[in-house]
This record gives sequence, structure tokens and C-alpha cells, in this order.
Amino acid sequence: MVFLSFVNCMRVKGPDKFWKRRQILKLAAHFYGRKRNCYSIAIRSVQKALQHAAYGRKVKKLERINLWKERITAACEELNIPYPLLMENLARCDIALSKKTLADLAIWEPRTFKCLTQIAAAKNQSYPPTVKAALQPPPEGVITRGML
Amino acid sequence: MNRPISTYKRVQQWAVFGRLWFLFDAKWQNPFDSAEKIAKYLAGKHKPIYHPLSDVGDHVVVINTKDIALPNKEWRYRMYYHHTGFAGGSSWTSAWELHNKDQTKVLWKAVYKACGGSLLRHNMMERLHLFPDDKIPQELMENISDHMKQLRPVPKALHEYTEEEIKNFPKVFEWPEDYVLN
Repeated sequence: MVFLSFVNCMRVKGPDKFWKRRQILKLAAHFYGRKRNCYSIAIRSVQKALQHAAYGRKVKKLERINLWKERITAACEELNIPYPLLMENLARCDIALSKKTLADLAIWEPRTFKCLTQIAAAKNQSYPPTVKAALQPPPEGVITRGML
Repeated sequence: MNRPISTYKRVQQWAVFGRLWFLFDAKWQNPFDSAEKIAKYLAGKHKPIYHPLSDVGDHVVVINTKDIALPNKEWRYRMYYHHTGFAGGSSWTSAWELHNKDQTKVLWKAVYKACGGSLLRHNMMERLHLFPDDKIPQELMENISDHMKQLRPVPKALHEYTEEEIKNFPKVFEWPEDYVLN
């Protein structure tokens, strides 16, 4: 006779300790010193390293956005248009280009970027939010035919 | 594997990453505001290709640093602190005293501060060339290709206008002939 239910009554010891530790030590393989080999020290540094990695994933995005902003600002200064004015008026023109795309255009296609700044300047002129913008002369070489 | 690029592309890359030399006239300029602008050029933040780790900063040659204009009472009340490391070795030097000792030092320190605290600061400061007057060595003058706009326009003194310009300057009214000005 085979007792099939006997297996359920046995004491379950859980997963193998070795493989559980192996999982952590693998993550600590590139650490320096006893942090690499001793489990009780490795588990602490692995947990801290994972915290840093989680933080880094967030900061990486912010740093990239800041870099694109700096690059677009530099390109805007060359063309004598403030960065906020460009971004605001591109949005009002429904030109939905991301900061990454604008920064790439500023580097690789400077003439396309210049056209975008001129469109923004023309939009700012046609629907001026301030009196100062209305008093400035319209940008040269932009034919809008009243469609902006 | 490194693939060869065409001659045009190669020259284009040289042109993009080539260092430019800018001239800045510090006459009657606020050194602390100017320093931020100069630091921007030294770091290369005026270029769309800017990245903090790619070495794209330009050279800046500053002339007339003896004529800088500090705001308000800064000449008297701005103190530069130094400590020799020995007991009682602290000293405070006011801006006017420092300017008397070295006419480029106030602007140098302002730019040093504006460059930030990163490890790139030393290399950035190497690209800054300060001169107390408008005399630049010939080998530096040959490199200069552009100038940075001054933050504030330098007003013209009355004696610098010609007789004709003063005569034709628009007036609201004429003084009566028998009126004694002084």
C-alpha cells in the first residue's frame, strides 16, 4: 500500500539554504573584500546597492531631461530666443516635439531648429501674451498667411 | 571595430570639437555676473553639443580687468579669507586691497567660484586668460576668433563726443542768453 497523504504530513524545511545564499552572493560578486564572500555582510551591501540602483533609475531620467534643457537653451541663445518662449509657443502651435527631439535637431539639423524658433517667434508675434511682444517687429522670412 | 569616416565628416568633426577663443572686455562690468557668463563658455554650455564629460569648453581671454566695477560697497566690504594653517594664521583681505596687489585676482576668484566644485574646474580655469589692460601677447591674439557681448554697455564720457555731436544733440529748451550756468 502506498500512503500518498504521508508526504503532506512531513516537515517542510523550505528552500535550500545554499541556493538562497547563492542568489544574494551572485549579486555581490563584483564587490570588494568580505562583502563579496561573507553572506551576512553581503546581504547588507546588496540591499543597499539595490536601493542605490532604484534611486539611480529615477535620477537618470531627470539628468537626461536637464541635459536636453541645457542643450536647447544653448541653441536658443545662439538664435536669440529665450528657451521658455520657444517651448510655450511650440506648444501653442501644436508642434508636439519632445525635448530629446529638439536637442537632437539642434545638434544634427540646426537649420530645422532655426525654422522652429522662427515659427515660435511668429506665433508669439501673432498672439502676443504681453504688450512687449506686440511692439516688437515680426520675424523676417516667415510667411504665415494668417494660418498660425 | 573602428570604421573609417569620410574626409568631409572627419573635417566636420574637427570643426565641431575645435576650441574657439573668445575675447571679453571687463571694463566697467560686474565681475560676479561676468564670471557666470565666462564660466558658461569655459564649460562649453553655450554649445548644443554640450555634455559635462565631453571636453567641449572654449578659451576666454579677458582684458581690462583693472577696470572692473564692483556693485554697491563691495570694494570695501567684500572680504577674502585665507588661513595659513598655523595658529592665529587667519587673514581677511578686502577687495580693494586684493585689487591693488593683483588686478586680475578678483575676477579670477569670481570665475573660480562660478566654475563649480567639480573635478573639471582645474581644466576650465586653465582655459581662462586674464590681462589687467588691453595688451595681449601676439600668440594669444592670433587665436582669438570672436568676442563675448558685455553684460552692460559702457557709457560714453562727455569728452569722448565730438563738438559736432554735442552741438546737434536734441535739446528740450535753450538756455536764455543772459543765464549764467556756473
